[in-house]
Amino acid sequence: MNQIVAALDAAWRILLIGVVLGAGLPALFSFGVRAMAWGTGGEATNHDEGTLPPPHPVGRVIGIAVFALVVLVVLLGLSYIVAHGLGYNLVFNGGLPAFVPR
Amino acid sequence: MSLVSPEFLLLALVVVTALAFDFTNGFHDTANAMATSIATKALTPKGAVTLCAILNLVGAFLSVEVAITVTNAVIRIQNPDGTPIPEVMGDGGGALLLILMAGLAGAIIWNILTWLWGLPSSSSHALFGGLIGATIAGLGFGGVKWTGEGYHLDGVVGKVILPGLVSPAIAIIVAMIGTKLVFKITQGVNQRYQETGFRWGQIGTASLLSLSHGTNDAQKTMGVITLGLLATGTWTDTHQIPFWVKVACAVAIASGTYLGGWRIIRTMGKGLIEISSPQGMAAESSSAAVILTSSQLGFPLSTTHVATGSILGSGLGRKGAEVRWGVAGRMGLAWLTTLPAAALVGAVMWWIGNLFGGATGAVVVFVLMVAGWLWMWLHSRRDPIGRHNVNDEWEAEGIAQTSDDVPVSQEVTQ
Repeated sequence: MNQIVAALDAAWRILLIGVVLGAGLPALFSFGVRAMAWGTGGEATNHDEGTLPPPHPVGRVIGIAVFALVVLVVLLGLSYIVAHGLGYNLVFNGGLPAFVPR
Repeated sequence: MSLVSPEFLLLALVVVTALAFDFTNGFHDTANAMATSIATKALTPKGAVTLCAILNLVGAFLSVEVAITVTNAVIRIQNPDGTPIPEVMGDGGGALLLILMAGLAGAIIWNILTWLWGLPSSSSHALFGGLIGATIAGLGFGGVKWTGEGYHLDGVVGKVILPGLVSPAIAIIVAMIGTKLVFKITQGVNQRYQETGFRWGQIGTASLLSLSHGTNDAQKTMGVITLGLLATGTWTDTHQIPFWVKVACAVAIASGTYLGGWRIIRTMGKGLIEISSPQGMAAESSSAAVILTSSQLGFPLSTTHVATGSILGSGLGRKGAEVRWGVAGRMGLAWLTTLPAAALVGAVMWWIGNLFGGATGAVVVFVLMVAGWLWMWLHSRRDPIGRHNVNDEWEAEGIAQTSDDVPVSQEVTQ
């Protein structure tokens, strides 16, 4: 019984962080795709027959910024795996990630 | 006067068998990281397995955590410090080696059988199952650590069964939410433009998954081999894994990954749902987030269960998408049966090995295992699946559809 409680206790934490990171990352990426599509204009977006939407340079800038953020998150994930393997733990000091030896 | 002593032969067979298991672990799990990227053509089949293999190789070396006590999760053949318990040290460690040998053989046979069926089953469940079966046969039920004490997740219940039930559910929910968000946010974006964009995202998340697989899974085999070396006194340091073991395991899992378990890749990439690249990225992000969070919290789960759960969730999250519940059901069945089935084979292997005893017994077990492997491989040749047809329409004549009536299963597991 205690084992089930322990498993459920871990489960809701994983679910919570999983939703934030695991659903958040593709959602963020989607904003990037949408911004890029708006920025590119033309055939990148769905549009009415005969009226090609114009490109918006701002959209491209936003898109690139968002993608950079996604790359950063993926790199953070990679460094987490590396650090974990090398015996370090990821801690967040006031929101900033840091690696400390276990 | 023979050139090789029986003790050495026994140890060598255990090492080779452990590496063979590592190899099957590799090709069984290529699909976890790469199935969706291959299905959506984010990567070519060859490019995907190459990337995955390289990252698994790197991952295996990255992990310096000492994994010597890996068997302690489910059976009692090691002290907490990693040294084998005295009860299994008879005949110069022969008793322990036979348990390892039989357990690994059980795990390998189940892994190859599920590959033949194109079913993604957990390699860690297979390994634990095989070892549990061999331990029950060798030491009785008391040799198995069934459950942990108090709130510390441990034993068969805490480390295998509960995580096996909980983790796919979490993955389904996370991937479903991710997929819903993705399609909501990208509304109005041209579908072709969308596909191209998300393929890049997929490559990033697939790389994360591959690397974390290398750091986690190669370790298990390293631990098993080192335990065998400890039992025979060939190695005495419980704080380190011999470097050659590390190299051998890394190469074994990476080459297995490179071979690619195409039958399983096909089932996961094409069989479960018709996946688009936004769904693929949502599924892979979900898997990566769930796996990394769990490892941070010390919650032991199976990559396979999470990856499959995520793909299923990405199907449920898309309006109008169809999930092939028949395929999902077969997978679920494979999950439930993996541990007991591998345990059964492991136990039978132990009995057979024990009947002959010593190195002879190990040779017999080894030959039986190779025979089983050959048998299943020959069966797979009837409807080969490889790079050329991994992405064919699911409705076409394919292995996973006809696998129900492959009669080989009963004969091999007996």
